[in-house]
Amino acid sequence: MLSPEQSRPGRVEVDRDGVERGLAGLVLTIVELLRQLMERQALRRIDQGDLTDEQIERVGSTLMALDEQMTELREHFGLTPEDLNLDLGPLGPLLPRD
Amino acid sequence: MSDGQAFWLHGVTRQLRTEQLAGLTGTGGGPVEAVRVGDLVAVVARVDPDGYAEAALHRNLGDLHWLEEAATAHHRVVESVWRLGPVLPARLATVYRDGPALHAGVHDRRVALRTVLDQLTDRAEWGVKAYAVRSADEATEHSAGPVGGGAGAAYLRRRRAALAAGEAARQAAAEGAEAVHGALAGLAGAARRHRPQDRSLSGVAEPMVLNGAYLLPAERAAEFAELLRVLGARHPALRLELTGPWPPYSFAGLEDSETEDTEAGNAETGNAGIGNAGIEDESTGGGGTEDGGTGDGGGVEAAGVDGGRR
Repeated sequence: MLSPEQSRPGRVEVDRDGVERGLAGLVLTIVELLRQLMERQALRRIDQGDLTDEQIERVGSTLMALDEQMTELREHFGLTPEDLNLDLGPLGPLLPRD
Repeated sequence: MSDGQAFWLHGVTRQLRTEQLAGLTGTGGGPVEAVRVGDLVAVVARVDPDGYAEAALHRNLGDLHWLEEAATAHHRVVESVWRLGPVLPARLATVYRDGPALHAGVHDRRVALRTVLDQLTDRAEWGVKAYAVRSADEATEHSAGPVGGGAGAAYLRRRRAALAAGEAARQAAAEGAEAVHGALAGLAGAARRHRPQDRSLSGVAEPMVLNGAYLLPAERAAEFAELLRVLGARHPALRLELTGPWPPYSFAGLEDSETEDTEAGNAETGNAGIGNAGIEDESTGGGGTEDGGTGDGGGVEAAGVDGGRR
């Protein structure tokens, strides 16, 4: 009935750049998720008074640097912040939007 | 293939002759026919039974291009019929395998169909979407907090302010959407709140916080638009968008066990309300609007039914 080519509708066209970009996007998504979790965790610990001023400064600098590096990497791969998000369907997006 | 005997149901109406549908193309490319079943008329298009059998249909519904064409044709037919009289739009991809199945499908539900058709007579659906407007200055405004520590501490303060502002804005938008829907539903005879569309679907950058459908008699349309304008002024954090008039899609789900497995992936866009209650259970007239804000458990009936034809 169908030729072999037609009978595989799910076949993926592999192109090198696309794969690289997709993989980078996936990795950066995970890193961004961790970064945001750490940020919230840091804010929580500050609220609880767990951290000294010096620690706060160090955590803040680290997170800021990570934020900047993320932006650079994103731009390097031509990805927008929205690209670093996964739609989990009924669960909503992986990362909070805005 | 046009010699198929399967029927794609576009909708059900009261009186219609096939001649009135001349020139109209149904889903699948065939002409649209009016099939009389008792005192009701099923508006159908013949489709190739092979292409529209359950498995094939299921596969086709996953094909966005196919789906777009099918939905566009379906909407064109429903809208044309709706301009001629009250119509109960069928859910997309309601297919009967042959003539007798079509007759039985409509005949078995005739009481409920008549009731819902009465409720939909001279009424149109209006859609209101609300988007949360992002105020860009909000997040940065808060950054000028008390200065202490270095750049790192300042960064954390900025982030905290941004997160808090985002949270507050989300909260305000959700409350605004609630208030807007309540007010609109109060004016409308019946109201439904669909799940807000995702950005990829709405094509709008701002998040959608309200996706409402409201059933209105024609003479209330101007009043409704005016109320919407007032609400827009009262809720500057929301951008309100009015669409319509539409055939009463949200208020007239035609459901069929045969098609349950082949729905088009957006089942949550509202065939679960009044229409269904009316169709599934012939003893109840108009079901309740579970999410309405109309609160009287019978939105359509509350609006009064005059039964006249347009």
